[in-house]
Amino acid sequence: MTSPSERRLRKEFLELIKNPIPGVIIDGEKIEKNINEWNVTIIGAEGTIYQGETFELQFLFNDKYPFDSPSVVFIGKNIPEHSHIYSNGHICLSILSQDWTPALSVGAVCLSIRSMLSSATKKERPPDDLIYTKTCSKNPKKTKWFFHDDNV
Amino acid sequence: MDQNSEVNQDELIIKQQKEIEKEISEQFALISEQLPVDSLNNEYVDDPVYKQKVEDISKKYRFIRKVRPDGNCFYRGFGFTILEYLIKNKDEFTKFREIVEDSKAKLLQLNFPQFTIDDFYDTIMEVINRVEPKDDNQEIVLEELYKLFNEQAYSDYVVVYLRLITSGKLQEDADFYSNFIEGNYTSLSDFCKKEVEPMYKESDHIHIIAICAALGCAVRVEYMDRGSHTEVIAHDFPESTNNPPIFLLYRPNHYDILYK
Repeated sequence: MTSPSERRLRKEFLELIKNPIPGVIIDGEKIEKNINEWNVTIIGAEGTIYQGETFELQFLFNDKYPFDSPSVVFIGKNIPEHSHIYSNGHICLSILSQDWTPALSVGAVCLSIRSMLSSATKKERPPDDLIYTKTCSKNPKKTKWFFHDDNV
Repeated sequence: MDQNSEVNQDELIIKQQKEIEKEISEQFALISEQLPVDSLNNEYVDDPVYKQKVEDISKKYRFIRKVRPDGNCFYRGFGFTILEYLIKNKDEFTKFREIVEDSKAKLLQLNFPQFTIDDFYDTIMEVINRVEPKDDNQEIVLEELYKLFNEQAYSDYVVVYLRLITSGKLQEDADFYSNFIEGNYTSLSDFCKKEVEPMYKESDHIHIIAICAALGCAVRVEYMDRGSHTEVIAHDFPESTNNPPIFLLYRPNHYDILYK
């Protein structure tokens, strides 16, 4: 029997295949193998400082999804240089922790991250990048984020 | 090293939060049985201020039903007690069901994504249909309601949908409600995203006003706190209501259900 979290993820998967989000590509083959682990490619939007670049996001879900938020990090060689994204791929975004709601979805998270990238005007790391990446847990959900600026 | 201790602290805090959550979920049912209202005295053995208020509340109410203190208590308690009332007053049941049925189209208009809303909507409708009162089945459906609200998979889905309905109403009448929003929110929709839709976020007057307006319900909330008055203070939502049929007890950061 499939669990409620798996049912929900399958639904989201089908929805993203039916109605793809521009600039967001999901790795369907991988998802077919393991519904609890998604790799998503984000394409830097035209006219932004990330134009022409591609980035890879990894989503990990547990059996409490969608009540628990997914763990979402950038992986691979190209981690976007952004004031809310650490060089280890961790992302400081409130909907991934305290403002997560079960009505959000993988698609909504991708849109948020893409718009966060698109609104950046300068490529830079967070000011505490060095300390954070040296000391943080591997799982970004084990960080108590606090959010300085919602406008970026 | 200093740096390490900083992060370990994060993990420790989160670990501790999880432990507290676990303890709460082992200690409290999502919705309890009906208990005599003066059982509240056990919580205030050495507390004259609250004892006096328990005495006052015992004069007005006979029973209390405790709701798990997890930040969802308002929605869970409200949802339970409204359905319990409707089971006992089945003339009003159909109208309520229609209002909930219509709510989905409104949420879609406000740009909530259909495929995430469907699950929550389908579940609340399933709960409503499973407790539909017919001739002679009152006892059975009351028992069913109690069971469903104590089953996390149903109970939490209902909480999510009631949160969405509340958020939908606040946004639908944004011109009115934005007058009452205080704090650092860029818009009413920003407030809803941070304080209404996420699970475990507590509820205040504005949430109660909105959900009552959305569902066409009225509720009396009895406020019991450390204030100097000796009585609990009743507040009716909406304010113009004459004798609301359902009752909640509010103690700082928590709601339970009361019965006359």
